[in-house]
Amino acid sequence: MKKLYCLLSAFMMILANPMTALASQSGESAAETVPIWLCIPFAGLLLCIAILPLIKEEWWEKNKPYAVIFWSLLFIIPFAVMYGAGTATETVLECMINDYMTFIVLLFGLFCVAGNITLEGDLAGSPRVNIIMLVLGTLLSSVIGTTGSSMLMVRPVIKANSWRKRRSHIMVFFIFLVSNIGGCLTPIGDPPLLMGFSRGVPFFWSLHLFPVLLFNMIVILFVFYWLDRRNYRKDIAEGLMPDISKPGTTISIKGLHNLIFLVMIIAAVILSGVLPDMPMFQNAAGEVLGIPIFGEVRLTIPALIEVAMILLAAFLSFKTTSVEIRKKNHFTWGAIQEVAVLFVGIFITMQPALMILKVMGPNLGISHPFQMFWVTGALSSFLDNTPTYLVFLTTAGSMSFAQGITTTLGVIPVKMLMAISCGAVFMGANTYIGNAPNFMVKSISDENGIHMPSFFGYLFWSVRVLIPVFLLDTIVFFLF
Amino acid sequence: MTQFSERDLKKLAGSIYDLDEKVYNILGSSLGRVFNSGKKRAVIYMVSIMASGKGYVLRNEMALISNMARTIPNKEERKKVMIEYDQLLHQIMELPTNQMTVDILDEDLAKLKTIRLKHRFDEEDKFIICIERTYGCGGTGIGFALADALQINYYDDEIFDEVLKRLEAEKKYNIDHGGFSYKNAGTEGYQYTEPAFKAEEKPTLKRKFEDFSRYHGLPKRDAQFFNQSHLLCDMAKEEDFVIMGHCADIILKRNHIPHLSILLTAPFELRVQRILKVNPNMDEKHVRKLVKQQDEKYGQYYRFFTGMDWEDPSHYDIAVNCSAYGVQGTVDMIQHLLKRNFE
Repeated sequence: MKKLYCLLSAFMMILANPMTALASQSGESAAETVPIWLCIPFAGLLLCIAILPLIKEEWWEKNKPYAVIFWSLLFIIPFAVMYGAGTATETVLECMINDYMTFIVLLFGLFCVAGNITLEGDLAGSPRVNIIMLVLGTLLSSVIGTTGSSMLMVRPVIKANSWRKRRSHIMVFFIFLVSNIGGCLTPIGDPPLLMGFSRGVPFFWSLHLFPVLLFNMIVILFVFYWLDRRNYRKDIAEGLMPDISKPGTTISIKGLHNLIFLVMIIAAVILSGVLPDMPMFQNAAGEVLGIPIFGEVRLTIPALIEVAMILLAAFLSFKTTSVEIRKKNHFTWGAIQEVAVLFVGIFITMQPALMILKVMGPNLGISHPFQMFWVTGALSSFLDNTPTYLVFLTTAGSMSFAQGITTTLGVIPVKMLMAISCGAVFMGANTYIGNAPNFMVKSISDENGIHMPSFFGYLFWSVRVLIPVFLLDTIVFFLF
Repeated sequence: MTQFSERDLKKLAGSIYDLDEKVYNILGSSLGRVFNSGKKRAVIYMVSIMASGKGYVLRNEMALISNMARTIPNKEERKKVMIEYDQLLHQIMELPTNQMTVDILDEDLAKLKTIRLKHRFDEEDKFIICIERTYGCGGTGIGFALADALQINYYDDEIFDEVLKRLEAEKKYNIDHGGFSYKNAGTEGYQYTEPAFKAEEKPTLKRKFEDFSRYHGLPKRDAQFFNQSHLLCDMAKEEDFVIMGHCADIILKRNHIPHLSILLTAPFELRVQRILKVNPNMDEKHVRKLVKQQDEKYGQYYRFFTGMDWEDPSHYDIAVNCSAYGVQGTVDMIQHLLKRNFE
């Protein structure tokens, strides 16, 4: 009983104690004095996302937005009480305008454009076809981004496997590879790498990650092949058959002109990383030009250009594509709505965690690539991987290394940069909320007759498949 | 607790299937649906779930239908569908957790395997006999003689030829994995030909790409099997026949088509001796190896597509040791059994 009391007391102290030690070191801003208990709303929202669809599905479907509002207010109100309404408003607006808006607009744009492209032809989903599609999607992720590739490939994969009963594992591996791991080769692939690029990491440097990508692809696809083969055989043994009564299949793509809009969106993303460094978008003090919103919060001109270009691409895509294509694709707003609602809450409630990370990151005593890989990765599994990447990139840059890649944050050894990049990109696959397309793929699959695993179910998949692969990565690439 | 008869369960299952179909048609999607295996099979699947007291499995399937239904753009249509959905869900909720008493009886299987054959086959059903045989037991001759005696069609590698025709594929690039190689020796019936299971011609890269399109991205063997399954189900609606090998018994069983399944076999030594008698110029060592290899290869094929053991007699109506009766004796015995069971 005494032990339990001590444990509880210690827990309460941690919860109630603002991180004053950190504050005394480096100033008085809210970011440096955030108490850990302010992370409770974030944990609460994650638990709701994980548990309520399992126990109160109908209720959750109807009341999701209220849950998001509830947990967001549970962070905003105490935060406002502690640091003032002005700081709270500034914090919320900062994350809404500079993080969430560009995030959801990009997702929206890619969702719209990809939904206007349909693959015609009766390819039958088999282990071989699925491997081909996963490889194609994975490689495409570095060319058009993980979100773009996921949105483009998810429907063809669902369609090819529509004859099968056991197909949720296909979508899980799709999330692993196409929605995450495939994005590591270029700054277009995943937002953290774009941030690295804007901090001076050469554009084509990420191609150094190709051996890591190849290794991961081989191991994961090997596991997938045997698993899919087993499930494929079970489906056949139950008498399920694809309709291949017509001899031969001609694969054609309808709505192909939308690739122009896809390129337009990719260009917008690249510009958002390039423009802030150009003098014409900076004022005399070297700050990026923008429209003042509230306090320090500004909507920067490059962000505005990015948003405008993406929305224009989405609009033109809709205007120039037949409704029939969207009908065939079972295009609905459900998936993007769900992500938009949930991620408002996730973005707001994860602010204290990010603030703590910014302060604690450099003090964690991480100095080896394998540590960088796991810490960046573990945090990227639950938090936004872009700020996580930046925190550890800054930490590595401040370690005064003599050899490596020269960035605006300092010189970073190649292995260290590889570890941070891989951690941020790969481990977004660990949870549904680790990367934006994960949840989109889940929602689209749910809407098309596929039993996707629950939040914990998916986590279990990650633990069984991804964690062993990441351990292998550690041994092969980052430990020695 | 409401009591449900089997008819009620079938009606409920049919309504669920219809709702799924309705939602899919309204949406006009091409990405697949919840019940993608045809109404008859879906109904049987659902009834078995309900009967075994696993209503929660069905509720999960219903949740997927509702996921799709919620995306219907027209409000009125969506409302109508959701009302129908709620009514069905309500009925599922009323299902007792244990509808059936514990029994070894597989009702679906039992219906297909009714002892009195005249009860198994309805007026409109065709009379189909599926024969599986071990290599060299004289099964081909028995099957042929039986078809002849019953005056019904006989199919073996003719099935494969038809599959190739449907797939627009050439025979030199394809091997019939579903049966053994024999030639028609006229009055003597079917005889063994060599080489059975010969290697197929190695395709060029261009050919591989063509095959990818021809077989819808599937491995050649799988595409042949699926096409063969469709063909057998189509044939079963049209004519009475005897079919050798090709997993026909399981294909028909999975598709709930009444049939009679027979396994013909004989001791290994006797099968080797028989092949040596039919082909006196063959070497005994080679024949032994061949018999083992043939059985193994067909066994693998059978297991891959059915998940079952080909030589397990428990899933056949009749399993015969042909060495105890001889070719004609086995034919007579089967005929006798059929006659008695149709009375």
